[in-house]
Amino acid sequence: MSDKAFSSSRVHDLLGSLLGVFAASMLISCPWQVDTSGPDPFYKGPLIFPLILFGLILAGSLPSMWRLCKPSLNASWYLDGQGKSLKSMVILGLLIVYLAGLMVIGLEVSTWLFLVIALKFVKQDSPLKITLIPLLITLILFFIFKIFLDVWFPEPLIMGIFQE
Amino acid sequence: MVENLLAGFWAATSLSNLAALFSGTLVGIIVGILPGLGPMVGMVVLLPFSFAFPPNVALSLLLGVFCGGYYGGGIPAILLRTPGVPSSLVTSFDGYPLTQRGEAQIALSAALLGSFGGGIISVLILIFLAPVLAHVAASFGPPEYFAVAVFGVVLVVMAFRAQLGRGIMLLGLGFFFSTVGIDGTTLSQRFCFGTLSMQNGLDIVPICLGLFGIGQTLILVEQEIMKTHDIQLSRSSLDFSKLWKVLKYWKTLIRSSVIGTFVGLLPGTGSILASFLSYDVAKRLSKDKSLFGKGTPEGCLAAEAGNNAVPAGAMIPLLTLGIPGDALSAVLLGVFTINGIYPGPLLLIKEPVLISTLYISMLFINIAAFVMLIVWLRPFAMIVKVPGRLLAVVIMVISVVGIYAVNTRLFDAGVAIAMGVLGYALLRMKWPIVNLVMGVVLGEIMENRLRQTLSLGDGSLWIVFQRPISLFLIVLTCLIIIVPFVLDARKAKKKIV
Repeated sequence: MSDKAFSSSRVHDLLGSLLGVFAASMLISCPWQVDTSGPDPFYKGPLIFPLILFGLILAGSLPSMWRLCKPSLNASWYLDGQGKSLKSMVILGLLIVYLAGLMVIGLEVSTWLFLVIALKFVKQDSPLKITLIPLLITLILFFIFKIFLDVWFPEPLIMGIFQE
Repeated sequence: MVENLLAGFWAATSLSNLAALFSGTLVGIIVGILPGLGPMVGMVVLLPFSFAFPPNVALSLLLGVFCGGYYGGGIPAILLRTPGVPSSLVTSFDGYPLTQRGEAQIALSAALLGSFGGGIISVLILIFLAPVLAHVAASFGPPEYFAVAVFGVVLVVMAFRAQLGRGIMLLGLGFFFSTVGIDGTTLSQRFCFGTLSMQNGLDIVPICLGLFGIGQTLILVEQEIMKTHDIQLSRSSLDFSKLWKVLKYWKTLIRSSVIGTFVGLLPGTGSILASFLSYDVAKRLSKDKSLFGKGTPEGCLAAEAGNNAVPAGAMIPLLTLGIPGDALSAVLLGVFTINGIYPGPLLLIKEPVLISTLYISMLFINIAAFVMLIVWLRPFAMIVKVPGRLLAVVIMVISVVGIYAVNTRLFDAGVAIAMGVLGYALLRMKWPIVNLVMGVVLGEIMENRLRQTLSLGDGSLWIVFQRPISLFLIVLTCLIIIVPFVLDARKAKKKIV
């Protein structure tokens, strides 16, 4: 697919229009989202720049909104033929679970689990890779962040349950 | 100046600084070689670690990745016709045909010599040009700074004028991210949506790490596994005799380096334009024009000299005006400000040793990258064989833990993941993501300068047009907006006729 056709996909216009709607709603709600109770005149105050930037986003989105409402004859929802991002979405979901896992089961266990599951999912699951890499990365992260940089990590919630 | 350079030399040769610049360069070469990653991913992943070091060491580490990435990018471009960094695409025009003819060593020699020459010459230009520009900028007041910021922003937007609306939207979105939290001037809350976490604002670090670290790796997860069985290298190190052979193109080397430095100096133009322009000029002025595109070492040398001169070129507006030239130098600006150092004309007066340390470190980085690639050419080339998906998963974990470690806030890691989703969508849709980063970085600068200018003018912006430098910059900005459209219209008219 040519770059021009790729660029004219209606998915672009949808995203552009959504950004435009977001900017419009923020533009309207700006006075309530920004604390303007200070003594400064408007031009020194905290509201002037947000108003300009939301105006900028809205102006930039107008062509997208126009194209979304009045699509050309050859316009389609086809994006790039690269599939439906299933792999990325699953990995992203795992990453969110991993973030929660940091609190629930701690850095070491959640890192090891995330790596094992993610590597299995992306088919990098030869016995050597799936055994060695999660273990190695977990150890490296543990030593760098907990020992070398002395970063505080929350006490795993699961430990509290066992202690009770 | 000499005294400062000497002091900078001693600071740059300290063990911690040398270790940082060597490890940064090594990481830079590796991420540069791996297609789909690039120096930006390397820099943002190392960013959280850099906060544990003093500013000069942190900057040497990240500059090592910045410069090293461009060195590495040329290798897969020559051996596999797969550029490690986008600007190395130009290197593949002549590099790959040379490899196909069994002359990979000469192509790599030309690319390496080009990279080295480009890197060194551009740093020398930086050393001499930065004080001159800082001297001019020392007389700047808020209106001039505001005009410079507008000029920079317009250049970035116009660099992607084929996607003008999208570029403007992303710039605005970047500005919006920079306004979230407590306003520094009035201490008013903005866009906190009633949450405590939002009051600290959205840091540049989780935003960049999310957009590039997580966003880019989500793309990498989907990519097919690259075929690397074609890699053929007769020796494990570079053949010195070939290196001497390409030295005959020294004029092209100097010319391309100067072009690359000045392209890097302009905000938003980037390394792709630098390598294209250097290659094009080299082709026009070459005695053997017909060889370009079919496999000439001169082409590889010109393209690599051009793109390797960009990092030092981009440092000129960053150090003297506080305006980053591209997304990579925007990250460096973040490192400066997090350490309480504010780039601008006074930086060269206030922190002469730090600046000299950076200059010398950049020279060392170029030497280190050159030597590393000469000695370990084959091991580096073999890095391409590491599966991208495996790397993607590992980088994601390091990114999330790294971003948490900066402020020990899970909220920042959440922001990084959210930005990762946005980055993934924008990268996949090929929107100009650099505008978003520039918006985040320049947002605070723009807003402060705008409010200061308005205060000076009692609420009017007319003051910008009353001062010669700011007026000149505004006229220049208008020309940058108008001229491309006029030229495009003329071209379209000619086509119709």
